[in-house]
Amino acid sequence: MTVETLPAPLAWSRFRFPQSLYKYGALLGSLVFVAWALDHLQIPLDRLPGMLGRMWDTLSLRYYPPNVGHVLKPEYGHSLLETLQMSYLATVLGLAVAVPLAWFAASNMTPSKRFVYPVARLIIMACRSVHEMIWTILAVSLLGFGLLPGTLALTLYCIGFAGKLFSEAVEAVRPGPIEAMRATGANLFQVFIFAVLPQVRVAWTGISIYSWDVVFRAATVVGFFGAGGMGWYLRESVQRVASRDVAAILLSIIAIVVICELFSAWLRTRISRAIA
Amino acid sequence: MSAVAYDTLDARAAVLASDKQRARRVRFTVYAAVLFLVAWSIKVIVVDDTDWKRLFGASLLATIQQFLDVDMSVVKDLWEPALDTVLMATIATLAGLVLSIPVAWLGAANITPLGKSSYMVGRFLMTMSRSVHEIVWGLIFVSAVGLGTLAGILAMAVRSIGFISKTIAEAIEDVDPKPIEAMRAVGCTRFQILIFAILPQIVPVFVGNMIFEWDINIRRSTVLGLVGAGGLGLVLFRQMAMSNYGGITTVILAILVLIIFGEVVSHFARKAVI
Amino acid sequence: MQAERVPGAPRAPQAASIAAKPVLQVRNLRAGYGDKEILRDVSFTLNDDDFFAIIGPSGAGKSTLIRCVNRLVDPKGGEVIFDSVDLVKAPQKSLRNLRRNIGMIFQEFNLIERMSVMDNVLSGRLGYMGTLRSVFRLYSKQDIRQALILLDRVGLSEHVNKRVDRLSGGQRQRVGIARALIQNPKMLLVDEPTSALDPKIAREVMGLIREMARERKIPVLCNIHDVDLACAFCTRVIGLQDGVKKFEGPPDKLDKQALHDIYAMEVL
Repeated sequence: MTVETLPAPLAWSRFRFPQSLYKYGALLGSLVFVAWALDHLQIPLDRLPGMLGRMWDTLSLRYYPPNVGHVLKPEYGHSLLETLQMSYLATVLGLAVAVPLAWFAASNMTPSKRFVYPVARLIIMACRSVHEMIWTILAVSLLGFGLLPGTLALTLYCIGFAGKLFSEAVEAVRPGPIEAMRATGANLFQVFIFAVLPQVRVAWTGISIYSWDVVFRAATVVGFFGAGGMGWYLRESVQRVASRDVAAILLSIIAIVVICELFSAWLRTRISRAIA
Repeated sequence: MSAVAYDTLDARAAVLASDKQRARRVRFTVYAAVLFLVAWSIKVIVVDDTDWKRLFGASLLATIQQFLDVDMSVVKDLWEPALDTVLMATIATLAGLVLSIPVAWLGAANITPLGKSSYMVGRFLMTMSRSVHEIVWGLIFVSAVGLGTLAGILAMAVRSIGFISKTIAEAIEDVDPKPIEAMRAVGCTRFQILIFAILPQIVPVFVGNMIFEWDINIRRSTVLGLVGAGGLGLVLFRQMAMSNYGGITTVILAILVLIIFGEVVSHFARKAVI
Repeated sequence: MQAERVPGAPRAPQAASIAAKPVLQVRNLRAGYGDKEILRDVSFTLNDDDFFAIIGPSGAGKSTLIRCVNRLVDPKGGEVIFDSVDLVKAPQKSLRNLRRNIGMIFQEFNLIERMSVMDNVLSGRLGYMGTLRSVFRLYSKQDIRQALILLDRVGLSEHVNKRVDRLSGGQRQRVGIARALIQNPKMLLVDEPTSALDPKIAREVMGLIREMARERKIPVLCNIHDVDLACAFCTRVIGLQDGVKKFEGPPDKLDKQALHDIYAMEVL
């Protein structure tokens, strides 16, 4: 029951050249790419379901039951403490460096857009791009095994991680108070303290706690590459091919990290409510 | 805090001052605790555990020099592993997406099937995926499926579930009900409503986040080789085993280049999607 | 028309009459949730040449009333007889067939933001399409042609492939109108079509709805909060207050006393 009082309009097709060609070409290309990639990496898709079964068998035979006794030794508790201290120190140092760095790397607050801004952004990007384990390897090569290289590596990781989040928070600040402070003749440092800091302090506190959480997670593993702490214990067990010990350590690492995450999430909500 | 009738301005000021003092005392204790922990940590880490002889010996400078003596002969062996690294990250991100869909379904408050219990399961899985470091996942999968790229891919896929499913769940929870209402009024079946009203809202959100996660996975891919999962990490491991410092530097530089490449691609791809 | 009918049974053929034919009969409609009553005992009849305007203060139940007609909201009691079927008692499965015969136009347009104008209009046909065809968006040539005719009629021919979030408010509502009409509905439900539009555009949109409904000889049931706009375009006014129908009659009978009853305030 159409109202046909109009002349027949132009036809319409879903396929508009060349946009549709690009779109469907890209889609097809992606599928071909995925298929090629799987082949190139020699991933046997047909063997995957069986593989899962075999995975279960391996894990249950060799890794179960986990040797909990290995984890309850006092040395392990000692290494846990060391890991905590590494992560704590690294976070404090990392945040201390990240604060001014974030200020320089924020496009709205940076003292000099031509020089300081790109340099600061580059430093943060460099710290972020290099994986914390690579930092660890480099540090261990230079300083030997121990907690110090681990701490340094984690500090660099923290600078990259927190620096980016901090500077994003600064860039999201309302410009009003900044303008007001500038109008009173305050210098850039004072503007930062009085106009920016009050606005970002809630976000920054949350980011700081989150950073510690993330650093701790990495800290449990840096020991695997020579930096001491729980990871060192893990490496030692892996080298002895003591699978049940390895299982116990992995499970304890997972458990402790999850506890820390829950704790840090709780702390974040408590503190943001307290200072907001 | 008792409700006291203030007679004078002085009395009011006194109460304010004592409040301020209390706040100041709290802050002071917090700062003191932080400083104490820092000092203790420094003692344990720097003082007790450090190989001071090595630090101040000539060997440190010598090592640095060895690092700077870049070994270019390694470069020709880097192309294949670099390609593997990128491919591993790509496949892993896609696999992560596939695995994330059920987790997101469980973890989205408005569509979770069994109410609070399935929601908690979904959120727990998301947390687990994020809490475990990718190296730990790598070790688990190397134990389970052996050395090679598959272990790395599985490790990254499982690690990515946390982020991808969280963004999908949030997108589902924030979905705009208006198109859903319109499609109901038109007479759509539930499946049609899903395709036409819900999916167009969700897809752009998670495609953007997937590209972001792909970029991060390239970074992870480079180190998973250190635990046997293939790619550039494996090359790095071998250079380390041979104590070829110059070679180590080369591989690390290659990794940096790869990551920059990933960042550039991800930046433009995300722009194209949004 | 008052004989008891089994819902779903076909209507017996009637002698052609010049008199207006009832399309919708609402009897003793009650709606609410929990203990809260939103609609109390509302009744009216909509004939095929009617343009009903429902007015009343916010919270009076106008939105709920409209949504009870196509069962977007489930009524608690009463009857809603459309096309010889009592919608209140109709099973879930038959709702699809009923809804596709009712076009709805929304206050906030309710379009699918990232899709084009064309795709949005065509989505009005989804009630008539199977799952497989809809997933691949295989609309028939007839559907596409009709969409183009409608888009031309509402003045959007130049924007056919544009994403709807790039259009103005008035243009988006026109897309909504085209989408409702491509269903070839037997009735139009309109929920505050002009609240989100400025006054000049609002009048144009109301005029467009009235014209196109007349061309198709279908009735319109329209919620509207602007009383002047309502009186300018409708054939009959229903005034709701607190879920109760306080007034029903042609717009010229809507005098100060009636408005006072509906809005419970001094009308100057």
